[in-house]
Amino acid sequence: MRLGVRLLINNIFTYFSAISIVLMAGSLLIIIGPMICKGSGAIFFRSTVEFRELQFNMHNRGSKQALDEQKALAESARTPVYEILNHFKQGIDTSSLQTKVRENYRQYGQQLRFQNIDRNKFTEYRNQAKELRDELVAAYESVDVNEIRPHLQKVLDQANNALFQNTPIAEYFQFARDYQQIISTVDLRKRDQYAQELTKVQEQIRLLLGPQPGRGKPALAMDQYGATRMDRAKVVLDELMWTTQWVEIEKGKPLQKKRTPRAEIFAGTEMEKLFSYIEQNLNAMLLPKPAVYWQYLIDDSTPGHFFGGIGPEIIGTLLLTLLAIAFAVPLGIISAAYLVECAGDTITVRIIRICINTLAGVPSIVFGLFGLAFFVLYLFPLAGMQSKPCILAASLTLALLILPVIIRASEEAIKSVPQTYKEASLALGASNFKTFISVTFPAALPGILTGIILSLSRAAGETAPILFTGAVALGPIPRSIFEPTRALSYGSYDIAVGDRIAALVPHQQFGIVTALILLVLGLNICAIAIRWKLAKRFRGT
Amino acid sequence: MADNKNNSLLEQAADFSRPLLLSPAQDMKGYILSHLGRAFLFLITCTSVLSVLLIFVFIIKESLPFIFQGTWSASINRMWEFFTSVRWYPEAGQPEFGALTLFAGSIYVTFGALLFAVPTSLIAAMFLSDIAPFQVKQICKPIIEVLAAIPSVAYGFFAVLVVAPWMQTHLGLSTGTNALNASIILAIMAIPTIVSVADDAMSSTGRAIREASYALGATRAETLVKVVMPAAHSGIIAAIILGMMRAIGETMVVWMAAGNASQIPTPWWNLGSAVRTMTATIAGEMGETVQGSQHYHSLFMVGLILLAFTFMLNLCSEYFLAQAKKIGKGGKRK
Amino acid sequence: MVTKVLSMPSNERHVIKINRPKMEAKQGNPGLSGSPEVNTIIESRNFWLYYGSKPGVRDITMKVYSSSVTAIIGPSGCGKSTFLRSINRMNDLVPGTHAKGYLGVNGTNVYDPKINLVNLRQQIGMVFQKPNPFSKSIYDNIVYGPKLQGVSKADLDDLVEKCLHSAALWDEVKDDLHKSALALSGGQQQRLCIARALATKPNVLLMDEPCSALDPIATGRIEDLIIQLKKAYTIVIVTHNMQQAARVSDRTAFFCLGELIEYDTTDHMFTNPSNKQTEDYITGRFG
Repeated sequence: MRLGVRLLINNIFTYFSAISIVLMAGSLLIIIGPMICKGSGAIFFRSTVEFRELQFNMHNRGSKQALDEQKALAESARTPVYEILNHFKQGIDTSSLQTKVRENYRQYGQQLRFQNIDRNKFTEYRNQAKELRDELVAAYESVDVNEIRPHLQKVLDQANNALFQNTPIAEYFQFARDYQQIISTVDLRKRDQYAQELTKVQEQIRLLLGPQPGRGKPALAMDQYGATRMDRAKVVLDELMWTTQWVEIEKGKPLQKKRTPRAEIFAGTEMEKLFSYIEQNLNAMLLPKPAVYWQYLIDDSTPGHFFGGIGPEIIGTLLLTLLAIAFAVPLGIISAAYLVECAGDTITVRIIRICINTLAGVPSIVFGLFGLAFFVLYLFPLAGMQSKPCILAASLTLALLILPVIIRASEEAIKSVPQTYKEASLALGASNFKTFISVTFPAALPGILTGIILSLSRAAGETAPILFTGAVALGPIPRSIFEPTRALSYGSYDIAVGDRIAALVPHQQFGIVTALILLVLGLNICAIAIRWKLAKRFRGT
Repeated sequence: MADNKNNSLLEQAADFSRPLLLSPAQDMKGYILSHLGRAFLFLITCTSVLSVLLIFVFIIKESLPFIFQGTWSASINRMWEFFTSVRWYPEAGQPEFGALTLFAGSIYVTFGALLFAVPTSLIAAMFLSDIAPFQVKQICKPIIEVLAAIPSVAYGFFAVLVVAPWMQTHLGLSTGTNALNASIILAIMAIPTIVSVADDAMSSTGRAIREASYALGATRAETLVKVVMPAAHSGIIAAIILGMMRAIGETMVVWMAAGNASQIPTPWWNLGSAVRTMTATIAGEMGETVQGSQHYHSLFMVGLILLAFTFMLNLCSEYFLAQAKKIGKGGKRK
Repeated sequence: MVTKVLSMPSNERHVIKINRPKMEAKQGNPGLSGSPEVNTIIESRNFWLYYGSKPGVRDITMKVYSSSVTAIIGPSGCGKSTFLRSINRMNDLVPGTHAKGYLGVNGTNVYDPKINLVNLRQQIGMVFQKPNPFSKSIYDNIVYGPKLQGVSKADLDDLVEKCLHSAALWDEVKDDLHKSALALSGGQQQRLCIARALATKPNVLLMDEPCSALDPIATGRIEDLIIQLKKAYTIVIVTHNMQQAARVSDRTAFFCLGELIEYDTTDHMFTNPSNKQTEDYITGRFG
């Protein structure tokens, strides 16, 4: 019986340990799987006509003719949307209508002034116009149909007054007629609510289809185009079709989400059919097509990464890491060679080893502080350079960070070269130096290379050391190593915790971090492959 | 003809034409070159020593203005405030530099991480050293390596955009970015370090003690827990310290995922509240300070504390690793 | 073989040095008294070599004569390789070694601090237990040493051919000179290593169990080669294989536990060992 219990414990232990490993592998999958899946969406997606237009305008990609054809097609599908919208606005967006009415009145006054009529007449005409204006404004301000009707009637009574022919006041009659029509369908008591919803609808339609034609080009690049991707379009459409509210269903329980179709708010109005129209004709309006946007990896982006790619980030990361490697590799290999080939077990060597280990254990943020204090604020002014964060400072800091990694890897590699190789060379009368250069080093090279690749991946992934020494979230592509740069790692941070705009483009968020992970992972797999081949070679001989 | 060649070579042999003995004066060039070469190599190797020294010198130099400012008693008061007060308001009109919450935050996430990481990694290390078949081991090693290689910012990204929303909806916490979130992610980051060092330590205890235990009728679990683990204890302690160093020095994950609220959680075991660590404070505030201001120097002071702490941990781990090496050698000799 | 020595241009210098050792040789080794004129090329007197505080070889006193093959035999771990590797100071690679006593090559103490190790090792070739060609082409393996000495490019081709002839490898590899040396068989690799050692024009060839990793046929060829080479080179060979020692060597030294037990001509040693330990070892009773 006791033996049974012991064996049971043993088995449970074995299973637990296996589970822990599965857990580890699982966490790897859970972490990088979804990120890579979502990140690949930055390159592979269903693009819309807006995307093709953006590509043509910004990068001159694609053919003008095909684009124009598609645009015309999409335009024809979109026209009803804008028609309904503009028409409905006439009765709802009263504040803007009132402004318009007042504006017309002012214009009329100026027109009169230029006509050089005498003063009394001028006052009379203007008062007449003023009366009409006040009637219209009163009509717009009211929410009671019975009040509005007489106001509008009074305006329309003047419709044939010759005085107002071909003047800005003539527009008043069209306004009055439109309004008359609208009050027959719209419940004016809900007008405030409509107005509020209408702004939301307009915003969503702008996000979906881009700025309304004929309204001029918005200043911000992110406002110039509608949904460039079908997945985004679906999200926007969903927000357009549904309203979300947090309601308390039970007392004391957390609030719960409640979704209602937005069309219900506009029930009974002409707007109601807008929603079904958009839902049914989404494809016709956006013309989706599968796209492989590989230029994501080389394109620059608009501010906030709303459109475009991560080219500058990739260039920056490559510059930083390669420069860091260029500084650290010679130092690392020479140090390793000295430690293995020349140094015995003296106290000096022991101190050197402790220092290397200490360097490996310094937190990365402290490297960042050091880079700021030493390179940027102390060394650069000393060397007569500008004391500002730049690529050089960042890569020097990274070089210090990866130095211990390279030293350790190279040391291992040099140590693992068989002694007989060195003996053969020495016995032929080669000096220590010559032996190292022509025999030991070539034999150790694959191992050293593995270390270099691993440190490359380490340098590419580090963020904290470059925070204060050379990374920026926004900025031009650097022209020299004395300028700061964007980098994949810092970009990933910035876009993850950045402003609200970033939340609108999850594919960009995941795209940039996926690029970083794939870079690091690719380098690591390279290193593992080299090591595997190396192990096979040693087993072979 | 071949014979001729053969002979000619044989003839040339057997002649000590080159002097075997050269005093330094005779071989000045070789002598100087070899010594210069060695000196050059030594100097290059000292870069590491130099950089460690420079790091200490410059971090201390930049934090000195924070420590010594005004009279002695003012300095002492400021230090007292720094280490005991929980009020960190460096940019207020009357700035206060009470860093206790920052230390507490670092300690919370570090020990939180160790809480998750240590049991998992030790049991995983045992699996790798004793239980797993060779092929499984071959697969597991690269997985661990890749887990260790994923950039910390990617982990932070995952914590913010995946874990945090999940925690908010499923655990009913008021904020998804909190000590628990940071601890879990830090644990995942520390696991590879602990596993690989502990695995090495346990593997190097040698077969002899295992055989002895099995021969006395112990099960595998009993052998591992009662014999192998005590034998490898110094290596395991070193592994845990290294994992701890990784967690305490980590910046991006805690900056993104720990919530950055300068407070000590109440009640003290409430991992679900937001905390702020030393590293996150430096990362978050350094960009917004004026160089040379008291706030700027205070951040270097925080960095100095961090550096001193990791340095001590490093020395500890080295001591334990050296200890483990001795034991490993002893085990093998038997 | 004497004529070869006499035909050397720097003959006289050698002859002067020869006289003294020759007399000692007669005194120390009665078995050699009848042999023709020989000269000592390596001489050790009370030579000790320590690994740390542990002596690897103790108090060795022996002489190696030019243009002959000297075999060192003995059980494993008896210091025979250590002694061999002391001659060209390969033991320096092992940390913590130091020497005591006199070990002279051509009258010069190799443990003299002023010794020029590069010259020493160029003039004492060494062949190792395991064939260890560089992972370069056959050609590059052979020219590695001469290139270090600054032999001009024009002479290299000629030299390679000569060395490969000397090592009896030319006919087998003459068409593949630029192929990797690692593609050769074990025996060929070992002969390549011998050719490589000859290319630096050494006087002495040290062989550390050169046949232990080879099959009997390859071993036979190497042995033939050794007998060929002894016309011009002084060869010291460490071997486990007593038959081999008997076949190729002129003199044999028997080492045990770091000490030189007996040193005599091979014929004498194998037919009439004067020491009991030697006899036991040779007849296979221990070791």
